[in-house]
Amino acid sequence: MNMKILIIEDEVDLRLSIQQYLAHQGWLCETAADFPAGMEKVVSYDYDCVVVDIGLPKGSGLDIVRELKEIESKTGIIIISAKNSLEDKLMGLDIGSDDYLTKPFHLSELNARINAIIRRKKFDGSKLIQFQEIKLSPDARRITINDRAVELTDKEYQLLEYFIANQRHMLTKSAIAEHIWGDEYNQAGNYDFIYTHIKNLRRKLVDAGARDYIKTVHGSGYRFTDN
Amino acid sequence: MVPLLVVGGFYLFYQFSKETDREMDQELIYDEIRWIKYVQQESAVGGPFVLKTPELLIYPVNALPADYPTIVDSRDFEESLNRKLPYRQLSQVVGVNSIPYQIVIRRSQLQKSVLIANVTRIMAFVFAGLFLITVLFNWLISQRLWKPFRQSLEKIRGAELGKMEAIHFDKTSIEEFNELNAALNSMANKIHGDYLNMKEFTEDAAHEMQTPLAIAHGKMELLLQDTELSDSQATIVMQTNDALKRLSRTNQSLLLLAKIENHQYESAEQINLSQFTRKYLQSFEEIIRDKQIKVETIFDGEFMINLHPLLAESLVSNLVGNAIKYNYTGGKISIQTTDHQFSIGNTSELPPIKQEQLFKRFSKAATAKDGSTGLGLAIVKKIVDTHQLSISYQHSEGMQLFVIQKK
Repeated sequence: MNMKILIIEDEVDLRLSIQQYLAHQGWLCETAADFPAGMEKVVSYDYDCVVVDIGLPKGSGLDIVRELKEIESKTGIIIISAKNSLEDKLMGLDIGSDDYLTKPFHLSELNARINAIIRRKKFDGSKLIQFQEIKLSPDARRITINDRAVELTDKEYQLLEYFIANQRHMLTKSAIAEHIWGDEYNQAGNYDFIYTHIKNLRRKLVDAGARDYIKTVHGSGYRFTDN
Repeated sequence: MVPLLVVGGFYLFYQFSKETDREMDQELIYDEIRWIKYVQQESAVGGPFVLKTPELLIYPVNALPADYPTIVDSRDFEESLNRKLPYRQLSQVVGVNSIPYQIVIRRSQLQKSVLIANVTRIMAFVFAGLFLITVLFNWLISQRLWKPFRQSLEKIRGAELGKMEAIHFDKTSIEEFNELNAALNSMANKIHGDYLNMKEFTEDAAHEMQTPLAIAHGKMELLLQDTELSDSQATIVMQTNDALKRLSRTNQSLLLLAKIENHQYESAEQINLSQFTRKYLQSFEEIIRDKQIKVETIFDGEFMINLHPLLAESLVSNLVGNAIKYNYTGGKISIQTTDHQFSIGNTSELPPIKQEQLFKRFSKAATAKDGSTGLGLAIVKKIVDTHQLSISYQHSEGMQLFVIQKK
């Protein structure tokens, strides 16, 4: 995937972390550290997705979003922010961003969301996702293995999509669980139930003829990889 | 004022009475003197003198003369009028030409009492009239005079913390109220300033604290990608990540508490708490199933309250989450709503907790469970306290029960 991503974030460590993770996925990453630099880049170049922090020096990330909408750019927009306020989320989505993530977030989560946005924007969501013998049709939420349809539950499909989007990366139990079940489970207990789902997904894939790509790593993490 | 009038009335009556009595007594004595002279003249001619009229009695008597007359009030029954009439009566035994005579002179006091009655009646009317006019006058003045006061009072009652900048107390024509309004204006400004400061603080705090957490979290995640990492090293990294996540959640909760207290979540619309409950039961169904918890719901009415949706989410997710978290495997949760009450009970492995401890931040029982911030119930209590609700806690027969009621 040679998609171009722009990261506009003033905290240098965070900016570099994001860049490193996304580059490892195969995205082409450019960065900007403040409002004027970010504005200049979005106006002069085309990106497939822009990740913009609201709290920038010398300006607000929201104005960059507005500018992108103004020039009718087709780029996907994800807002990241330290504020978890509902009003900010709604406003962000209102002015035209495609998604809103609150810090701190899992880098794998950001990655999954960029994936989803690009798929939606560039290919109207119809592009097939493929990993070796596994093919996913995101709009129908169906999968085939070796061109034969395989029945997955809703949660199992989401797991598979997430694994493939973050392939070859080590994913923690909490990152996976938060992506599919949300942040609130911390209030009700722990995420141990996800083991069952992952176990079921693994079995279904292998039973349908695929290789076992879901590897348990370091006891409680997973890596979806073909080597 | 009324006691004054009553005392005045009595005093007036008393003085009046005394005066008229004095006058009358004088006249009785003069009468006596004139009659004694007359008797002297008449009895000098010869024979004892006898005179008996309704008002006057002079007859010889076998008694010793007295030095002073006795004057008393008396009431005698008058047949023609069929009632008792008041008299003032003088009686004395007097020696005339060395014969002792009994003299009794009496005068009707009817006029006096009628006069007194009339006078007091007029006085009563005058006082009553004055009283009424004073009251009326006071009322009229108070309406006009206190109008600016009442206006200010109305404004204070309608004041909302989030809109303090819109309040302004006008100038009036009354010096004292101008002073009051000026003080109120400066107080409103200060409150507004404090509110903005607090709002700004919570927003800055969020940014300043969450951003380094995000950086640390991101770095940890990158570290995990290193394939050279051993299992024990990876475990340490993941535990660090968990601690960072927990710190972030604690931070968010504390900020939420501050924002609620600063009234930054005003809501003008009613929400249906039963609906939010259903939503969270569904969200948590995975873990409910996993823990084999039986959930029983009785939605007898829709518990509608005026609450910001975000706070409603927080309230319900905390209570339902707790009911699951502190439950044992195979336990039970029972939720009931009526129009005025929302109650949630669960079987619990915990012992009963003292109510004062329960809703405190970071109380021991709460932080005992890993991952818990210890702030869930504090948030619930804060939401309840700022929205005219009350919450109570009971523990009996191994079940803990929380009941929220409208005040």
